[in-house]
Amino acid sequence: MRLVQFIVIFLTGLCILLAVKYLAGLSDYLIPPPEEISFFLFNKAGDFLFPALNTTIVAIAGHVLAILIAVIVAFWARTGSRISNMVKTAAYNLQAYPVVAIAPIVFIFLGDGLSSRLLIASLICYFPLLLSFLGIFSDPVTDVEHFFRETGRMDAVTELSIRVFENLDKIITVITGSGTLAMVGTIVAEFLAATNGIGYVIRKSLYQNNLAAILSSLFFIGLCSSLYLMAVEAAGRMIKKKIAA
Amino acid sequence: MEIICRNLSFSYAGSDGPIFSGLDLSISGAGFFSFFGFSGSGKSTLARLIAGLLTPESGQIIKHDLSRGLFSYNTERLPGWLPVGEHLKRVTADGREEMLKRLLSEFGLTSLTGHKFLKLSMGQKNRVNLVRYLVQDFDLLILDEVLANVDEPSRNSILSFIKKNFPEKSFIYISHNVSEVAVFSKEVFVLPQEGTGALSDLVSLSGLDLDHPKKAERGRVQEKMLEILQASSESKKHLKQ
Repeated sequence: MRLVQFIVIFLTGLCILLAVKYLAGLSDYLIPPPEEISFFLFNKAGDFLFPALNTTIVAIAGHVLAILIAVIVAFWARTGSRISNMVKTAAYNLQAYPVVAIAPIVFIFLGDGLSSRLLIASLICYFPLLLSFLGIFSDPVTDVEHFFRETGRMDAVTELSIRVFENLDKIITVITGSGTLAMVGTIVAEFLAATNGIGYVIRKSLYQNNLAAILSSLFFIGLCSSLYLMAVEAAGRMIKKKIAA
Repeated sequence: MEIICRNLSFSYAGSDGPIFSGLDLSISGAGFFSFFGFSGSGKSTLARLIAGLLTPESGQIIKHDLSRGLFSYNTERLPGWLPVGEHLKRVTADGREEMLKRLLSEFGLTSLTGHKFLKLSMGQKNRVNLVRYLVQDFDLLILDEVLANVDEPSRNSILSFIKKNFPEKSFIYISHNVSEVAVFSKEVFVLPQEGTGALSDLVSLSGLDLDHPKKAERGRVQEKMLEILQASSESKKHLKQ
């Protein structure tokens, strides 16, 4: 469904662009004709597909890293102690800051390689994940937890398992949403300074005023992004189905 | 086992007035004790104070020879990722495995052990929840409307089983059902109706203390029920206006 939605939106956008071109009589230099766009989409697909896959892999790695760190920090900070309250306040304040703005600093210190792209992808999706996990992990599910507390059987693993299980839908939604953010973060990082990935290809195409190449890049990254988010949603559905069975 | 509440006062934050004001109560020995009253009369609040889940504003709750008291209520849920049988096995206290088998059989749950909690009916959920408390080590078990969704014949046979098989334990049973309170209880503490002021004293009545309703003479049960209901409406005089 997500894939179909993307293709419909992409084709609609393309049609609008071509309609504007022909209605306003714009030049091929500004908006390329359909033949040129299809040449880049089909004949030069490899030039865009591989960078798009490269970006997707970095985004997935950054996303997984952000999820792991957010789970660990939220689990540790869930207790309501003074330190955990400090972490919560810091997370609320930091998430209001546009992380993309610190990307140039990351590139200065780490260079234009993989680590910078990975770090920026993680940072962009980390704070929304952390805030959601903090909310979920620190909210007691009294009707389930009461027995374990009464009988002295409550430990950290049981508490976490109960809260994760009871909020599984919310967690899957948050993870899927943050997957888009990770993708955005990686592309922005590549757009700024990296020497790899689809963002880098878009930057080069921009300098050459090559709209057909930009459109082709957008198509392939949209395709990869949709497939990744579909995989995350499918994994969530499978987990829920397995648990509910 | 003995529980003595002295001069107990309590009110919920933001409420109009206190629920209890200088309340005294004493429960001693093993057996079945009941709190009876209409909705909102403070039965659960009193039970939660005794269980230590709420803290009184003033007064004391003194407990003697009570090493472990447990509080159970009817909306409790089991973790949803395990079949109920697996969960029950994991939480059964050492040496109580045989009792678990008996309880599952007596409560009509043996065929449901492979099911997830979410798939059970409300009455089955109530019974499974009660089973897991009964296989713990405890001196006192507070049952706050734990059989609210169970049909009457099943409720009678469950209460009958508990009375026969746990004679050395103490139970505080909270219910709206006047007939089961009258039949099974050793002592009934009656709370007045909601919204009539702060409660300062409870009406304590002896129950029939039987282990099955069939053993009771119909006339005696009706007499006891009437006595409890009258105490419930008359107990307004125990309120501080």
